Parts: sequence; C-alpha cells; structure tokens
Amino acid sequence: MPTTSAPDEHLRLEGIGVSFGAVNVIPSLDLSVRKGEMVAFLGPSGCGKTTTLRIIAGLNKPSRGSIMVGGRDITHLPIHDRDMGMVFQSYALFPHMDVSHNVQFGLQMRNVPAREAEKRAAQALEMVQLGHLAHRKPKELSGGQQQRVALARALVIEPSILLLDEPLSNLDAKLRDEMRVQIRALQQQSGITAVFVTHDQVEALSMCDRVVVMRGGHVEQFGTPTEVYERPATAFVANFVGRTNRLKGALTAEGILTGAGQQLRSATRLPAGAVDILVRPHRIRLQETGEADNKVQGTVSTITFIGDLVQYGVSVGGEEIVVEEATRRGRSPLAAGDSVTLGWSAEDTLIYPAGEK
Amino acid sequence: MSAAPALPRAWRDGQLAVLLLLPIALINAIGFILPVLNLARYSFNRSRIGGGIEQVFTWENWVGLLSDPFYLELVLNSVWISLAITLTTLVVSYPIALYLHRASGSWRTFLTVLVISPLLTSAVVRTYGWIAILTDDGPVVSAIKALGLPAPSLMFNIKGVFIGLTEILMPYMILALMAGFGRLDPRVEEAARTLGATPARTFRKVILPLTLPGIALGCLLCFVLAVSSFITPKLMGGGRVFLLATEIYDQAIVTLNWPLASTLSILVLIVFGAALWAYSAVLRRLD
Ligand SMILES: Nc1ncnc2c1ncn2[C@@H]1O[C@H](COP(=O)(O)OP(=O)(O)O)[C@@H](O)[C@H]1O
Ligand SMILES: [Mg+2]
Repeated sequence: MPTTSAPDEHLRLEGIGVSFGAVNVIPSLDLSVRKGEMVAFLGPSGCGKTTTLRIIAGLNKPSRGSIMVGGRDITHLPIHDRDMGMVFQSYALFPHMDVSHNVQFGLQMRNVPAREAEKRAAQALEMVQLGHLAHRKPKELSGGQQQRVALARALVIEPSILLLDEPLSNLDAKLRDEMRVQIRALQQQSGITAVFVTHDQVEALSMCDRVVVMRGGHVEQFGTPTEVYERPATAFVANFVGRTNRLKGALTAEGILTGAGQQLRSATRLPAGAVDILVRPHRIRLQETGEADNKVQGTVSTITFIGDLVQYGVSVGGEEIVVEEATRRGRSPLAAGDSVTLGWSAEDTLIYPAGEK
Repeated sequence: MSAAPALPRAWRDGQLAVLLLLPIALINAIGFILPVLNLARYSFNRSRIGGGIEQVFTWENWVGLLSDPFYLELVLNSVWISLAITLTTLVVSYPIALYLHRASGSWRTFLTVLVISPLLTSAVVRTYGWIAILTDDGPVVSAIKALGLPAPSLMFNIKGVFIGLTEILMPYMILALMAGFGRLDPRVEEAARTLGATPARTFRKVILPLTLPGIALGCLLCFVLAVSSFITPKLMGGGRVFLLATEIYDQAIVTLNWPLASTLSILVLIVFGAALWAYSAVLRRLD
C-alpha cells in the first residue's frame, strides 16, 4: 500500500471509507495513481468498484478519508468543479440533444465560445470516428456508437482524470475487443490519467498499466498485470485473475505434502501449517519425461475441446487437476483412462495459508 | 375436426381490433358525441321565455354572444384565470413530483398514497374545508390579524377560488408530471454534473427539458379541469366570480336559456380544442 507519495503521483485516496447506513461497504482504502497511467479496478460484482469511482467523481461522499488530485485536497469540492470526465456504464447521454450537442455540453459549461465548442466537438467526434453522425439523436445510435459518443464527451473537456465504469460491459464480444484497443490508444495519445472499472480480468490485464484487485471493499493487490498474474498476493487474486487448480496440503519441515501424500516444492516461503496449493492449468505439462521440480502420477478422466485449448481433467490421488494445452493439429494422443505424469516447476507452485479465500 | 380452425387472415389484420374497439366507440358515440351534437344544434335554436326551445335555425345566439362585451370578457377571464391557476399548480406541484420520482421503496409508496388521498374525498367536501379555513373569522385570517397586518378578504372573491382550485388540482398535476418524468434518468443528471454543470444549470439544461412532456400533460389536464370547474368557483366565489362553467349553469338552470347555455358549452369545447392543439404542438416540437 502506498504510504509515501511518488513524485509523479496524480490521484491519491487516503483512508477512504464508505458506509451506507449500517453497512460498511468500504472500510479503509488507500491508493496512489501516477500521472498518465491507466489503472484498473478489478473485482467481483459488489466489491465497491463503482462506489470508489463515484467518490473520486464526487457523486458519492466518502464517510471517511480524503481525495487528493495533483497534491490538492478535493474531498469537499463540488462535483462540477472537479474536472473529471466520466463514462457511465449506461452511457447516460442526454436524450434531448443530438450527438454534437452532447459532446459540446461540457465545453458550454466551461463557457467556451459557441464556434470553438462546435469545432472541438467535431474534432472529438472525428477522433472516435463518428463525425458523420453529429446530428443524430442518441436513440438513433447503436450501443457501440453511443459508447464512443460518451467517450468523446468525456475526453473533449480534457479532464484531469478520465473515469470509466465498465464501459464495455454492454457491448458484444467483437466490438468489445475493438473498443478495448481504441480506448487504450486514445488514453495513451492524450496522456490522460484514467481509472477503468471492470469485472473482466482480460480487460484489466490487457488495457491497463496497473491493476487494483478489489474484494469486499479493500485492496487485495495493486500491481502491474504481470505481477498480479504471476505473483498473486493472495489465493483470492490467483483465483480471480486467471484460472487455477487448488489443492489442500500441509507445509512441514520436509516440504509440502498434498492431501494425497505427494511431496511438492514451491518457490514461496511460508511458516509451517496447513496450506492451499495453487497451480495454473497451462503451466502443467501432461506427459513429463524430463526433470521437473514437481512430478505426480494421474489418470486422465475427461478431455474437453474448447477451441484454442484442450482441457484435461486428471485425477490424482482422489483430487482432480485441470491441465490445459494448446490445441494441436490432429487428434489428441491421449484418451480417458490413460496414465500420465504431470510435471511443473517450483515457481509455478503458489502456496497460501489454508482457508484464505 | 382435429384442430381448431385458424382465424381468418383478415381478422388478424385489423378486424379484430375494430371489434374490440367497438364497445367503447359505441359508448362514446351515445354518451359523448350525440349530446355534443345535440348541444351544437341547440346553439342554433331560439330560446322562449320559461325555458322553451323554438326549433328554428338562427345565428342570433352566436352573434349575440360574440358581440356582447360581457361574454367576451367572461371567456377571456375564464381562460386567463385557468391559465394562472394551472401555472401556480405546476409551480407548487413540480418539486413534489420530482421528489416523489426520486424517492424509492415504501417511502415512495406512502408519499404517493398521501398525494392521491385527497381524490378520495369529493371536491365539494374539500371546497367546504377551504371555506372553513379561509373565511373571515377562520384560522388564516385570524393569524394574519394577530400579526398586526391588515386582514385580507379571502372568501367570496377570486382569491379564494384561486387557492381552493390550486389545491384541488394538485393531485392531478403531480400524477401527470410523474407519468411524464420517464425520460429523467439520475445517471444523466450526474453526467451533467461531472461535465461541469452547477445544480442550477443542470436543472435548466437537462432536468427541465427532459420533464417537459410531463409538464405539458399536467398543464393540459389541469387547464381543462380548471376551465370546466364548477363547484369550487360556485361555492367559494359566492356568486361574485363569473366563469364559463358557472355561467353555463346559471343560464341552463336559473335563467332556463338552454340555447345560450349550449352556445357557451360549445365555446368551452372550442377552448379545449385549442388547448389540445397547443399540447400536441409542444409534444411535436419535443421530438
Ligand atoms: N446507494 C447505496 N445504498 C446502499 N448500498 C449501496 C449503495 N450503492 C452501493 N451499495 C452497496 O455497496 C456495495 C458495492 O457496490 P458497487 O460499488 O456498486 O460495487 P461494484 O461496482 O464493484 O459492483 C454493494 O454491496 C452494493 O449493494
Ligand atoms: Mg459497478
């Protein structure tokens, strides 16, 4: 957790807490976002992502703590003075204005002369490739187009921070991929500091410089996509970011013992006691022939073809381990009932104190 | 026969709709169109002393009405007062409707029931209630006097009618406003705020335009109800406030001049037509 401010820090949350009535939704949250970076709030539904974003925008008042932008305390600044560009999950376009006037709105509120506002709105719409639809009403646009208008409307005011609340969740898969690339490109071109709320790990990992993994109103881990994926701070993060196998075991003087009695090696250091052992399915080799830190015998029980991947269910001493391999041309050489030797390295063996979820 | 015969295609293509609309069309024809046509006919007949109607075709009711300054003033007065009452009702009802629109759960249900509950008592009872409140030795006048201010006269003049009608029309206005607030999404208001709009500018540029359909509907409804209101002006006006509806009553029941009463009624209908036209013009401009 950041305690001292980085020199290029732009946004800082200090001890932010939120209670709705008696429910303590966010106990205490600290966060530091650098200038020009895009940070993802990633977590399951209901963990407080939207609430935190709304607090930054001023739409919700924190019960405790303070918000700083560029070293200035804005905790008590009214919404309209905060200079934030917000993209809502439902887009929230003004239904009574055409696209151009939607984009001009923020400029009008800043008393930009009409001519210039019109010109800048046109430029912003070109930027999201919607120049030709400037005179349509929002209801005459598709979801993806509305999304881009919302983005142009938020960016045209050149806000101090861009806030995006699950902006892609209402789009179909293909459009989502396109918009992911486009939003990231726009954010990097303008060098704007951005906070991106999502429950989709692919979005968080692929678009953002750093990821805040949230759970139940607190931060589980704050790091780069690689850190979060390769070195998850908790079992929850490992489970939430990417798929993983989970075995029960114990850490003893001799090493790690699984429930089924196999001895494993891990690069992680922990005090002795009951542990959960986590291994990513695609880090396990199915037919280990050479040397490996961890080697266990098992029997293939299921084979599932899922396009790019083939998923094998392998039963090992009563527990099921999932192994994923890239699909190869031709039929899989394995069949259910075959014996296999699974192998994986100590670095890929993550251990956490048992019971942590 | 193994299966039920399929409906003839033509039925699906509209005849069924016509059939379903027939009962209400019939009721409307007998209960509304025919009497109105009858009124229109009376307005071209001649009245006889003692309430008789002479079945001749004459323009004299219309000519008399449109050339008599008393009636012209009556019409203008009625329209003007009704517009003023409608506007006042709108101003006092709008914040309540907006609050109700934003309230949620059982609190909203409770408040909505509270707003509608006056409709459960008849306008007569509520008018008498207002008479008791506004009369010269009633609580309002007494309170004003106790403050050492000159005592106003609130009863048996236009002030009383104004106050009474405004309150009586409020539930209709609030319900109509709420029915027209569908486009008002709290996220859209929030979007305006994050884009730099102060609460006042958010109201002017976003909330007000988005609630215009409700405002138009509420104003149409309350204007029509105000123009045709009879009990409240009759009781609270004390015979000193002349409005269209009370004059029609006097002509029909007191003077027994049915042709003139009919002519005035048709005039009211024309005023309603104009109001409806204005309403649809506003709606067309909104879209
Ligand atoms: N206005 C509110 N009143 C009461 N509870 C709320 C309110 N807004 C959000 N919550 C609760 O706060 C928690 C976090 O909500 P939210 O920030 O929307 O989660 P997320 O965006 O991560 O899905 C949820 O449990 C939600 O029920
Ligand atoms: Mg959310």
